[in-house]
Amino acid sequence: MEIISLIKQVPDSTRVKVDPVTGTLIRAGVPSILNPYDHFALEQAIKLKKEHNAKLTVLSMGPPQAEEVVRLALSLGADRGILLSDRAFAGSDTWATSYTLAQAIRKIGKFDLILAGMMAIDGDTAQTGPGVAQQLRLPQITFCNELKVEGKKLIAKKLIEGGHEIVECIMPVLCTMIMPHEYHPSYPSFMSIYKAQVEKPAELWSLKNIDAEIKLLGLEGSPTRVDKIYPPVSKEKGTMYNGSPSEMVEILIQILKEEEVI
Amino acid sequence: MSSVDLISLRLMLNSLKQYWKKNLSLDFLQELDKKNEYPKKVIDDFYDPNILGVNYLLIPSEFGGIGGNNVAVYQLCEMLGRIDLGIATTAFATFLGCDPIRVGGTPEQNAKWMGRIAAEQMIVAYGATEADAGSDLLNLKTRAKRVEENGKITGYRITGNKQWISNGGVSDLYTILALAPGGASWFIVEKGTEGFSADKHEDKHGIRLSNTTGLALDDVYVPVDHLVGLVEGQGFVQAQAVFGYTRLMVAAMALGVGSEANETAIRYAQQRILAKGPLSEKMGYMHKLIVPHAVNLEAARCFIDRNSKRLDEINEGLQTEGAIAKYFTTEVADNCADDSIQALGGYGYTKDFSPEKLKRDIKIAKIYEGTSEILQMTIQRDRWQEHLKTKGGFYINMAREMDAVHAKNPDVGADSASLCLKGLSAILEVCRTERLTRHQHVTFKIGDLIAKAEVSHSFVIAASQDKLFEGVRFDKETYQAMARVNARETAFNVILDGIKLVTGAGNVDAHALAAQTNLIQIIQKQQQITADMDLLSVKLCEIFNAR
Repeated sequence: MEIISLIKQVPDSTRVKVDPVTGTLIRAGVPSILNPYDHFALEQAIKLKKEHNAKLTVLSMGPPQAEEVVRLALSLGADRGILLSDRAFAGSDTWATSYTLAQAIRKIGKFDLILAGMMAIDGDTAQTGPGVAQQLRLPQITFCNELKVEGKKLIAKKLIEGGHEIVECIMPVLCTMIMPHEYHPSYPSFMSIYKAQVEKPAELWSLKNIDAEIKLLGLEGSPTRVDKIYPPVSKEKGTMYNGSPSEMVEILIQILKEEEVI
Repeated sequence: MSSVDLISLRLMLNSLKQYWKKNLSLDFLQELDKKNEYPKKVIDDFYDPNILGVNYLLIPSEFGGIGGNNVAVYQLCEMLGRIDLGIATTAFATFLGCDPIRVGGTPEQNAKWMGRIAAEQMIVAYGATEADAGSDLLNLKTRAKRVEENGKITGYRITGNKQWISNGGVSDLYTILALAPGGASWFIVEKGTEGFSADKHEDKHGIRLSNTTGLALDDVYVPVDHLVGLVEGQGFVQAQAVFGYTRLMVAAMALGVGSEANETAIRYAQQRILAKGPLSEKMGYMHKLIVPHAVNLEAARCFIDRNSKRLDEINEGLQTEGAIAKYFTTEVADNCADDSIQALGGYGYTKDFSPEKLKRDIKIAKIYEGTSEILQMTIQRDRWQEHLKTKGGFYINMAREMDAVHAKNPDVGADSASLCLKGLSAILEVCRTERLTRHQHVTFKIGDLIAKAEVSHSFVIAASQDKLFEGVRFDKETYQAMARVNARETAFNVILDGIKLVTGAGNVDAHALAAQTNLIQIIQKQQQITADMDLLSVKLCEIFNAR
């Protein structure tokens, strides 16, 4: 069995602020991380790899520094890691990104299962996974939180409003993964990181490594136009109270009384 | 060349950071501190190659480790210091314990013992200190008697007591310094050897979770191949050989503590509203309690980084730089932790916030691995020789280097650093002509002045580079402002203190010396320092924002 896991490096959005004047992200001092949804999907891929003795390839597209998340995936247990990085890919929207990733997957060749996070926490679009499936004319199951493989069949637990569905599909298939509410990602030991560095170097692929039409790549291949980015207007500020637990309980009761809640 | 590349190092530090955030809350660490308890489960995780395996970075790759270079190890030490100086000490003590073997052991001894340390995840302790032999190791009382059969040495019987041994009660393996007939020598002693025992865990001021005990050796027998290097009398040489990097690493641990204290205060300052505004907008508060420490810590980081890189190139030595790094950084971190308590006011004085513990913990860094005072003496002694050898040229040459930097880049404070180094050379020259180094106080103080001047020199060089080194979290404009502030402050303090010192100790014309050291020019260089500090106040809050 061959699995491909799609991953993306994102700024740790819990620590990003938006410049109120320019509307751009203030990235200074903000570390980059592996998109948590992708991290969860990768961990599911590693689990399936172990259960089914599968081969796992991770694929990412991004600037050269995104090699770090590919190396993280290799350290966690992926067998092969590819970073697609080329100036020609810069400025891609989800449409162009899906196309580029799909062309790279075609180059990788054989696969049974493609996993991706439901969305990336920087763009929040949830479009790239489905876009790749569409480009490759693959069936897709989105918003999954559990996967099982039985022979040629994939059984996915898919979240829907008010509950979940169990969906079966003959592979190959692409699944996008949601992550549990209390998700603590795994991180590799020092030795795993070192061994990955020595034994499994990340492959850096440029435009030359894939067959792609230039006009479908990067900014030129991206139909999306961003009109404006702005932070949502903040609501009324909360009030902070300090003191011992008993003092604060008293304050709370007082407020609840004033609001005529109790 | 390190076996660990930059991405691997970042990933390793991130794994450690994630473990910290998940498992080592301040409440948890304070509880261990309160109970004076060694965190066995945590340390097991730190040594487990499948969980963290931090120790493997310190073990050469040929023996089953990773073999990180000095730059990698110092960054690890900084992170460990941030997490908890007690945990850092526990991890580092293993490293220190291995050193006599790594430095003095035969290839066979290295293969055997380092291989076992890696494979068996051994905790190691370094047993040198005794009741009457700390800074003065020559007073060593522990004795190793030869055991001979048919005129051939087959082993040693060791008797004596060790004191303040980190990991003393929890180690699997010990390197013990003892006086053999041929002189001080290191011996490898395994846990459980007959006659060998550890005393109770000490009730310390700080780093309370780090296991510290005395060791008792009562006629402990070790076979002859447990003598490190298989030659007696090499003990002191082997102990001295590693001071360059062990002190750089302790400096890095202190950098971690200081940075954690400083950043905690910066984040607090943005949240605490006083007189309708956050403390971070109060100039007096920021310029007194925050900015000077941030600048000094960054100066320390650059000195540690620069000399770790140098040490990676030349492999051994840099004892003076190691002493400067440790002396400067531990003093800075201690002052910073103290002011972080002040910055948090009443909260800082409670155990609910980290500065209280950081302040208690950091104190040991000024004591172990060479006290501040021993280091001042070491720095002065070594550089005094350089000053004499070069007929005063040592610091003049460094000043010329600064002049060249200033010609290319006038924004990094190289002009002030140049004045400082020239002035320092003049002060040392007065010490020589007036024979002032006969006063011990003068030698100590000179060690202090030298440390500050040399750190500032490194900072200026780092700030003048096109690309800032890995680990700097500031943009170039901010970093250069920091270097400027540091260079000006250092020039002012070093020269003023120097003049005071020689005037106090000798028959010196202060007026002439003030002219000779360009004191007025140095004072004039202080222009714009307030504006720089204002800029730094803003930038520090941007980088270490309270969210």
